[in-house]
Amino acid sequence: MAEQNRNIRKEIKEKMQQEPLQVNLGKFVERYPVLRAAAMENAGDVEALREAIKKMKADTVNRIEEIADRFEAEATKRGVNVFRAANGEEVVRYILELAGRHGAKKVVKSKSMATEEIDLTRHLREHGFQVCESDMGEWIIDLAHHRPSHMVLPAIHLSRFQVSELFSKEMGREIQPDISYMIHSARDYLRKDFLNADIGITGANVGIAETGTIVLVTNEGNARFATTLPRIHVVLMGYEKLVPKITDAGLILRMLPRAATGQLLTSYTTLIGGPTPVMVQREGRWVEETREMHVILLDNNRLKAANDARFKEVYQCIRCGSCLNVCPVYGIVGGHVFGGHTYAGGIGAILTALISGMSDFEKFHELCIGCYRCTEVCPGKIDIPGLIEELRVRAVKEKGLPFITRQLFDNVMANRKVFHSLLRAASVAMKPLASGTNKTLIRHLPLFFSGLAKDRSLPAIAERPFRDRAADVIKRPENPIGRAAFFSGCTMDFVLPDTGESIVKVLQDVGYEVVFPMGQTCCGKPVSAMGDLETTRKIARINLEAFEQVQADVIISGCPTCVETLESYGELLKDDPKWRDTAAAFSAKVREFSSFVAGEYEKQGRMQKTTGGPSVTYHDSCHLKRVLGVYTEPRRLIEAAGCELREMKDPDKCCGMAGVFGLKYTELSMKILGQKMQNIKDTGAEIVACACSGCMVQIQGGLDKQVPNVRMKHVADILAESIERRKNNP
Amino acid sequence: MKKTSNDWRSHFAPGGYGVHLFPEFEKRAKDAATEVFRVKTPQEGADVVLELARSAGARKVVSVTSPLQQAAGIEAACKAAGIEFYGDRDSIAEHAPTADIGISGVEFGIAESGSVCQDVYAIESRLVSTLPPIHIVFLDSNLIVAGISDAFEIIAKVFDRGYVTLITGPSRTADIEVVLTIGVHGPIRLVVIAVDEKP
Ligand code: SF4
Ligand code: SF4
Repeated sequence: MAEQNRNIRKEIKEKMQQEPLQVNLGKFVERYPVLRAAAMENAGDVEALREAIKKMKADTVNRIEEIADRFEAEATKRGVNVFRAANGEEVVRYILELAGRHGAKKVVKSKSMATEEIDLTRHLREHGFQVCESDMGEWIIDLAHHRPSHMVLPAIHLSRFQVSELFSKEMGREIQPDISYMIHSARDYLRKDFLNADIGITGANVGIAETGTIVLVTNEGNARFATTLPRIHVVLMGYEKLVPKITDAGLILRMLPRAATGQLLTSYTTLIGGPTPVMVQREGRWVEETREMHVILLDNNRLKAANDARFKEVYQCIRCGSCLNVCPVYGIVGGHVFGGHTYAGGIGAILTALISGMSDFEKFHELCIGCYRCTEVCPGKIDIPGLIEELRVRAVKEKGLPFITRQLFDNVMANRKVFHSLLRAASVAMKPLASGTNKTLIRHLPLFFSGLAKDRSLPAIAERPFRDRAADVIKRPENPIGRAAFFSGCTMDFVLPDTGESIVKVLQDVGYEVVFPMGQTCCGKPVSAMGDLETTRKIARINLEAFEQVQADVIISGCPTCVETLESYGELLKDDPKWRDTAAAFSAKVREFSSFVAGEYEKQGRMQKTTGGPSVTYHDSCHLKRVLGVYTEPRRLIEAAGCELREMKDPDKCCGMAGVFGLKYTELSMKILGQKMQNIKDTGAEIVACACSGCMVQIQGGLDKQVPNVRMKHVADILAESIERRKNNP
Repeated sequence: MKKTSNDWRSHFAPGGYGVHLFPEFEKRAKDAATEVFRVKTPQEGADVVLELARSAGARKVVSVTSPLQQAAGIEAACKAAGIEFYGDRDSIAEHAPTADIGISGVEFGIAESGSVCQDVYAIESRLVSTLPPIHIVFLDSNLIVAGISDAFEIIAKVFDRGYVTLITGPSRTADIEVVLTIGVHGPIRLVVIAVDEKP
């Protein structure tokens, strides 16, 4: 992997053509949720368990120095040598000295990400050590000179045929590509390395402060060998592995194997406290001696993270890999592309930024599409996409934005009139390109200007945006129950104005007076997602001004991302004395369309299943489901509108378009979209519905090409049509 | 023999364990590819060992002792069947790498996960339970706790220093093509002989 100048787009193309990776990863990604669910069946209240882990780990990081001191004191009391290493160099130096004292040259290693992080094996070999990677996956990638591509399954990118070649070459005889035979051959072959090793090096899954104990979680049994046969045991672990008590380790153990591999416990869960006996041969006789035990606590910028109010959250990670297993991007490209030097996926991006620095992070962080899937499964409840966004903000603060983007943000995004007249101009300019109806392929519309759209069709900007139609559709009901201000968002305004009309009709139908403040502009998400909070604030002020004048009871949007952004204005402007209070009041009034209407239907006794409508399958927008927590309401509304609801496979899996990602990494985005298309097709439904204008644009684009007989609609459209039907046949 | 604790039993929560949890333990253990034999008396346990040794063609056994194994008379039974038997520390160190079967005792079982908890502070215990391809353990079928948390409650009380392993099935990997394969570095078979009657 070229770490210096990575060309991620090229890497993606290569990986997508790599058959073993695609097959193995595909298989694992399919199977993982099933295994996990089965393992969770007898775990009790899983949410409570996640919460308990999060809390315990968060409490620990808040006093990490104290916990580390306790660990050191207790381990030392029991005869362990504890060393605190600032970085990899210090680790290597420590081990070299230790080995030098004993004349030790043969090392057997069990799996440890921390050793990968500091390239320990390479360093030791450079100093003439014989190092055996004894974990099967690690051994395979060591023979192949690769890096791990998954936390738990490091060689997942290789096929049995590739492994058989590697084994045959190493063992000097033909090893047939039969998996069981290969594993057993490796077992026999590696046995001598265990029996002859002077030093066993392991990681630790948990370090327990109250007794200075380490816990090792393995399946292959190699860590037990490495801590039983050699006369020296060296543990390398990061500070994040520390917990206060033995029962805290128990808490982690209830979750870690279930989340990692769907096992209730792995084959071996081992607790080691203090040096243990070892048998050595002295002058032809077996004698018992005491093994030397060394624990190296690795900092490598971890303590800095522990003291960062936001990033100390990474200490809640128990390295289970669940976040990778459910990540739609990781599931296609694997950890070599979506990953840095050691750590992969979304959490890998964060760890890479903290441990190796921003330049390594910047090469691949864009691959996180912010779908929030990982946050549903993470045992430590880490806000992975949120932390990535925070890192982007920090990167912009440090380095600023690229020149063109800066120009665009300053001159276009921060000025509504310029922005909107450009959108109108685009509508005219694009006419010959847009085939037929509103065919659109862009989610965060303004990115259209950023010159990244060259690989795909341009979005069809509607001839008449919603803002020009608002006056026609807005009709004040007789005795309105309240006043709703409609925030359309750019997409609904300029690409999907029909849906904008539906929203108004539905709100009026439940009795609201609707107003559409003409001064409104983009919510600011495309800008904040690039890390530019200053321009986002300018945009927020434009919207606040526009809405201040209409005095609404609620502010409604049919785009979950807009809702989130509008809801954040209060926080965004909290240090702005002039706008602070207005922003807070505004944010408090923001409501997401489908859940708001569901509430009204409920109150008015209209939330009844009815019939007469078409068959509909529902796609959960990532943000609507996982950030706003809305997923039952749209479904019930669809049924209340008389439609037959047909669930698709993975309804809440991302449709593959998220801002810059969908434009820059087209193949990948299209592959994710392709999976969605298949799932939609399989339901046989006439309509696919969602409650997010961004997803509508992406899915519509896919339907046009791949499933032309299925139509895409917003829940608002479905409701508006049923209202129409009812009016015609009362 | 060196142990992490010589008194595990007095740390079980009253009412927190029992043979009523055995069926759950047995199911979960079998799900994890453990072979489970439930017997009434220790002597029946010895018969199971001999039968296993016979069917596996085992010639050499290394064994650390536990009250159940002693009651079963494993050593005498093996020797009578013509199987080499090594039970003291030095001979275990010498023969464990080439033995066909390792035999040891465990402290308790965990119903939630089908695991057994083994105190392996003594080096000979670890050699017996790691090196031979078949590992047979004797378990008192009354000593089953419900959950992983219960297990850690007990461990928290007894563990000061030492070496304890929760074993759940034979060693395994899915490192090649995500295909589950049993028998990597550790034992290829794990056999639990659960004895109902106290010796
Ligand atoms: S938010 Fe989505 S894309 Fe980003 S790491 Fe999590 S699962 Fe992957
Ligand atoms: S971030 Fe969460 S899900 Fe990902 S490895 Fe860490 S604990 Fe597991």
